Amino acid sequence: MLTQKTAQLVLEKALSTGGDFAEIFCEDRRNNNLSMRSGKIEAVASNRLHGAGVRIYSGLESVYVYTNDTSEAGLVACAAKAAAAIRGGSAVKAAPFSADGNPNAHIIMEMPSQVAGRRKADKLRAANAILAGYPEVVQGIISYLDSEQRVLIANSEGMFKEDLRVYTRFMVNAVASNGTENQTGHCSPGAMQGFELFDRTVDPEMCAHTACRTAVTMLHAPVCPGGMMPVVIDNGFGGVIFHEACGHSLEATSVAPGNSEFAGKLGQQIANPRVTAIDDGTIPNEWGSENIDDEGNPTTKLVLIENGILKNYMIDRLNSRKMGMPVTGSGRRQGYMFAPTSRMRNTYIAAGQDSEAEMIATMGDGLYCKSMGGGSVEPATGKFNFAVEEGYLVKGGRIVHPVRGASLIGRGSEILMKIDRVGRNMQMAQGMCGSLSGSIPTNVGQPMIRVSSLTVGGK
Amino acid sequence: MDQFISQLLQKAKAAGIEPAEVYYVSGESFRAMCQQGMINNYTVNASRGLSLRGIYGGKMGYASTQAFDEDASSQLISGVIESAELTEDESVQEIYAGDGNYPVIETFAPELESVTAEEKLDYIRRAEEALLKCDKRVVATTYNMISTSSSCVRLVNSLGLDLTARDNFIFTYLSALAKDGDKTASGAKLIAGRRFDAENAELSAKKASEEALFMLNAEPVQSGSYRAIFDPYAMSDMLSVFSAIFSAENTQQNMSLLGGREGEKVASDVVSIIDDPLLPGGFDSRAFDDEGVASRTKSVVECGVLKTLLHNLKTARKAGVESTGNARRGGYSAPVRVAPSNFFIKPGEKTLEELMDGMGDGIVITSVSGLHAGANFMSGDFSLIAEGYLVKDGRKAQAVDRITVAGNFYDLLKSIRAVGCDLTFPDSSIGSPSVDVGEIQISGK
Repeated sequence: MLTQKTAQLVLEKALSTGGDFAEIFCEDRRNNNLSMRSGKIEAVASNRLHGAGVRIYSGLESVYVYTNDTSEAGLVACAAKAAAAIRGGSAVKAAPFSADGNPNAHIIMEMPSQVAGRRKADKLRAANAILAGYPEVVQGIISYLDSEQRVLIANSEGMFKEDLRVYTRFMVNAVASNGTENQTGHCSPGAMQGFELFDRTVDPEMCAHTACRTAVTMLHAPVCPGGMMPVVIDNGFGGVIFHEACGHSLEATSVAPGNSEFAGKLGQQIANPRVTAIDDGTIPNEWGSENIDDEGNPTTKLVLIENGILKNYMIDRLNSRKMGMPVTGSGRRQGYMFAPTSRMRNTYIAAGQDSEAEMIATMGDGLYCKSMGGGSVEPATGKFNFAVEEGYLVKGGRIVHPVRGASLIGRGSEILMKIDRVGRNMQMAQGMCGSLSGSIPTNVGQPMIRVSSLTVGGK
Repeated sequence: MDQFISQLLQKAKAAGIEPAEVYYVSGESFRAMCQQGMINNYTVNASRGLSLRGIYGGKMGYASTQAFDEDASSQLISGVIESAELTEDESVQEIYAGDGNYPVIETFAPELESVTAEEKLDYIRRAEEALLKCDKRVVATTYNMISTSSSCVRLVNSLGLDLTARDNFIFTYLSALAKDGDKTASGAKLIAGRRFDAENAELSAKKASEEALFMLNAEPVQSGSYRAIFDPYAMSDMLSVFSAIFSAENTQQNMSLLGGREGEKVASDVVSIIDDPLLPGGFDSRAFDDEGVASRTKSVVECGVLKTLLHNLKTARKAGVESTGNARRGGYSAPVRVAPSNFFIKPGEKTLEELMDGMGDGIVITSVSGLHAGANFMSGDFSLIAEGYLVKDGRKAQAVDRITVAGNFYDLLKSIRAVGCDLTFPDSSIGSPSVDVGEIQISGK
């Protein structure tokens, strides 16, 4: 993608105005998407993303310039543009490149770009055939996505590394309608895998069933009553609650400037002792895994919270300087159009000891969230909001009927302390996480958990 | 680039892709943030992307690239052919030969291009300084950003159409974090447009700080049914999600409940909704849409009656009407979809104060968040975290946060009692005045 000679020239140009660190990130990415609506394949698109970004630090200030022109002249011009914004006093020279590579922990069996479009289309058809069994499902949107991202990261400390990230994902969104009301359900599994995804983990038919069942169940559900109540959140995508309400507040992006409610709390109890939470980029072939992060550092398994005690933040290179703490291999970005920052990878609440049946039986009156929708959070205050995609009303410890339109609201720090049960059935689910450095694949996960009381937004 | 485009169209024709069209987007942008006096996220770029689409074997195929090397043309052509072969959509998709006349509108402010990087950095430094001087309880800015961008879209096809549009923008966003004991609250001010005004730094600081301080004392209210007004910020955000129900693409796919309801009442008498791509200074003003159809202004809802859905060529053909000029591509690589341009609720006569006076007791919602999760345009259901303030005897009272407002947008349109005169486009092409929505369900304490 880039020779060492060119990389050296670019880094030298970048440091020419007194910057003390320079990095170049090159990307060549092929995306292929197929989507089907109303039983017809309606869009098939291939896109090739190509470009590079040059980053320079001067102390704690940083500059990022990117371009699609990856010729040697284009990259040197890009570095010159970045250098022009630096007025540093450093005389750092780019170090010779080290021969250290990085081992590949994520073996790909069948590269998506080598798979004929017809085989991808067949997966859409298999899911679509299931929709007919659900007469109330009036619309199914079924998508297949794959991506092959090649990156090269070189920096003035002598790093010169390449990595290949291959992603495949399958998505079903179902809309059920009775003519005056629509309800939706979704299922969207994916992995850092090639087309072997369909041999290993993903069954398009099961996926369609899951999406349809949720949509139909919700169509027949009365609206959820609002108010404070105990809430049980099931495993898998239920982990979005930890991701949004706590994970983002443990990213150096919000910790370093002191904007996080967890800033300055290392070693303190921030969660119920039942809670252990982990951010792990090393799990082979998982959706949020990598070999190296987008700053070239090896990815890690990081314990965020251990038995309720805050152990670690997720730290990228620039924030490592600001915080005086080591990097955790958490510097990620959507692509060359973004400077990296601290981000999550596969983030989950670890399995606990509690029985799933017991936690519902002893909850009294409340809400059981079988499947969660997306959510958002304000890191400064920890305020969050999640949609409950499929919820059930619980009365006297028994699930009575489904309810729709519910959402969960509260604060991250509050909910962590209020988790009073952690089940054993940990499972992960795939999402795209949007933040400063763009949209990146991340896993959320947890076993079934119970929150002793939480505001449920309903009607 | 001109040469690349004309050769690409020739090669496409030779490969049997005819007619064919190139959609080329190029742009430059600048962005920087400042916290604790330190500049961060300083990002500058020049980028470009191109897509080729065309008819092959009677069907439309798409492919796109950011690389313009020797392989690029052949990859685009084989990409379009594979895409067309796999596509099962038999509805006719057109490459458009163009209209006779196109409106002339100004969407590019040359003076914005002459603002230097140093002036922009100075702006955000001053904004933070001014913010921290506002009140000792205002302790930090959590987001302090300036960005400028300019872009150029070129649409060239083998039927002789060759259109170019340029625009540019500036956005600034300043958020304030206020702390008092263990209470925290935030407030923010966003300014967007095509004019750089250095004094906005201090103005933003004042507004963001006032909001954060007011929200410091915010409390949830008791759950229940409330009389409510959505201010322009909250209502524009709602409309940004629910404008999708007016898309003919969504109605034709059973994803909106407005299909076939033109001529029917879908909102209360006081509601008119306009899509105006010719709006002077609008964020999404344009002379032509992304299929090359000339732009025109239309009433989508007039006095509560649905007048038209928004169409591109494909949905219009299917419905047997003319395109409304709402073809939109969400970037160089995105397919042609339907989207509103400058889309807003037509303002009425009353000020927000007069609306509050008319309401007596109730709540004004000033912000809703979590829209991507809590608002579902397909069902119309929303359940959103919200902030605002109580109104007692027509006057602003206690600040309110940590509540959710819930309802259904289709119902909300019918329950609107009055529309204010304060039309605002907070941060995008979607705008609204303050709107008295009648009764709404709130979950709080």
